[in-house]
Amino acid sequence: MKILIVEDEPKAGDYLRQGLREAGYSVELVTNGVDGLHHALEGDHDLVILDVMLPGMDGWQVLQNLRAQGRQMPVLFLTARDQVEDRVKGLELGADDYLVKPFSFAELLARVRTILRRGRSGMESTTLQVADLELDLLRRRVSRSGKRIDLTAKEFGLLELLMRRQGEVLPRSLIASQVWDMNFDSDTNVIEVAMRRLRAKVDDPFEPRLIQTVRGMGYVLEAPEGAR
Amino acid sequence: MPGRLSLTARLTAFYTLVSAAVLVGMGVLVSLATERHFVELDHGYLKDKIGLVQKIVRESPSQVELSGRLDELLNSHHGLFVDLRQGDRLVYGQEAASFPKGLPTADSGANPVDWSVGPQTLRGLSAQAEAPALPDVASQATMQLRIAVDTAHHAHFLQALRQTLMLYLLGAILVSGLLGWWAARRGLAPLRVMKERAMTVTAQKLDQRMPVQAVPAEFADLAQSLNNMLERLQSDFARLQEFSSDLAHELRTPINNLLTQTQVSLAQKRDANAYQDILASNAEEFQRLARMVSDMLFLAKTEHGIELPNPEAISLDQETQALFEFYDAVADEKRIRLSLTGQAVVIGDRLMLRRAIGNLLSNALRHSPTDAEVAVMIEQQGANTTLSLTNQGVTISPEVLPRLFDRFFRVDKSRSHPDSDGAGLGLSITQAIMAAHGGAVTASSSNGITTFCLVFPGSVAG
Repeated sequence: MKILIVEDEPKAGDYLRQGLREAGYSVELVTNGVDGLHHALEGDHDLVILDVMLPGMDGWQVLQNLRAQGRQMPVLFLTARDQVEDRVKGLELGADDYLVKPFSFAELLARVRTILRRGRSGMESTTLQVADLELDLLRRRVSRSGKRIDLTAKEFGLLELLMRRQGEVLPRSLIASQVWDMNFDSDTNVIEVAMRRLRAKVDDPFEPRLIQTVRGMGYVLEAPEGAR
Repeated sequence: MPGRLSLTARLTAFYTLVSAAVLVGMGVLVSLATERHFVELDHGYLKDKIGLVQKIVRESPSQVELSGRLDELLNSHHGLFVDLRQGDRLVYGQEAASFPKGLPTADSGANPVDWSVGPQTLRGLSAQAEAPALPDVASQATMQLRIAVDTAHHAHFLQALRQTLMLYLLGAILVSGLLGWWAARRGLAPLRVMKERAMTVTAQKLDQRMPVQAVPAEFADLAQSLNNMLERLQSDFARLQEFSSDLAHELRTPINNLLTQTQVSLAQKRDANAYQDILASNAEEFQRLARMVSDMLFLAKTEHGIELPNPEAISLDQETQALFEFYDAVADEKRIRLSLTGQAVVIGDRLMLRRAIGNLLSNALRHSPTDAEVAVMIEQQGANTTLSLTNQGVTISPEVLPRLFDRFFRVDKSRSHPDSDGAGLGLSITQAIMAAHGGAVTASSSNGITTFCLVFPGSVAG
């Protein structure tokens, strides 16, 4: 998976490149709009991460040019201004998603994965499995080591999200948005509490622990090394 | 200011123009009236003299006698000219006069006619004169008489009059212009006072006010409006100042923590786990900072643009139910019962309203004791729709209640709520959101029951 980052702020660009590389993507970084457009037209990137404020040619123009030349690869916008008009403009021009600075890297990574997954639909399985944890989407049932686990609807939704995106660190804001459709930052520890209760049912009675807290980032569900 | 006259100059010019027009009109009237008066005077004089000449003609027994008596008459009346003809024959006349033809007759009542001879202007009438006593005119006793008077002395008088009038006019216009300027300046003096007062107003001296009592009634309204504006500016400015100092303070603490922690960590080598811990803790602190910044931006934006991003019909009960589900785990932990009664639909922005109600709910959950109840009631109150949220807990004192909505305000200043990483912006955000919806949020507290009430103006059936 190849990602092109167009970001003029050197520190931000470097860290984005490093972070996305370590997440397993092949990353190219350019620091102005003209180079950005050129690289995007020449290369075969699966995703372009585009800053709005760029020297030479701003993000809108880059996107417009890309779309005008028939390039339909997904584009994720980074903007420092959270204006409704900006959002609308970006989406009208054909952007796939946007993030307002400052954003957390976990959030960006989660969005990137969502966008890149979009293309590859199909083969939707009706059960999800991680280690000995099984989730049956049709019958809405969860079991671990063959033992049935009773979950509330929202707990089921939370576990489904974690399992669908196993191995990915999911930030709290993404969890709140995906499971509860709450698209604002709550100043309470709602997600922590919900996660604690889910763990009490799914993890505590069993070995090994599948749901991990990544401090400062979010939560991830994965089978520990060697336990697969 | 080029192209723009001052009010004083305009008023002065206007006043001067008006008085000039009035005075010039008067002058013209006076000179016209005088002239007409002279014409009438001459008319009478000429008619009088016609009578006299007619009498002389009638009574004169001979041509010589007639000429003699007419000479005598003309000698005693300076500037009088007589032309007496019988048919085409000049009986008596003065070449200097050279009378025109077709002078109006004395009995027609028409005004005498003027004409010029050299430097003189003559004014004349005509009449017929019977000469029955003249022996040699027996066949034609009727003679044509034309008579004229030199108007030079009138002309002199009129010219002198006009000069005097002109001088007087110029003087009067000048004086009235000065008076107008003085009056305008005096009349506008309060404006200058206000200007001087306004010039002393600066960000540091917003307590200056316009002298409402000292200005005329026309300016009092203006002065009062300006004062109201200053009042608003002063309070807004004070709030802004307080807010930015609060902001600086709020930012200083986490930044200080981050700096200290990072520098202490760098002071000596540590193992990977320790670094991971420090970075994770830093990340948490940074997230808090980022949250604070985006909350501040949200506030600034909401308070600026009143237009709702996405207005639609929102069912308050359904939104509350969704929020109950979100906060369910937290409530359950504290064994707090969440209850909802009533239903209503309002027009609003879903994300914003969820945020507004969510802030109240999380606030209520945080301050409720365990085993309590948080109740949401949706009601119609007259034209308004209200959503009130009640929780048990410590009574908030009445002095503190209005300050709850201030940014960064916390009831306990210690900033140590273990289960909250909020910056004290939640209720301000709720307030801003309600303001953007044209509504309001109120708070009341007594006997250990605290209620927050969202008021939406109007309602939508359904």
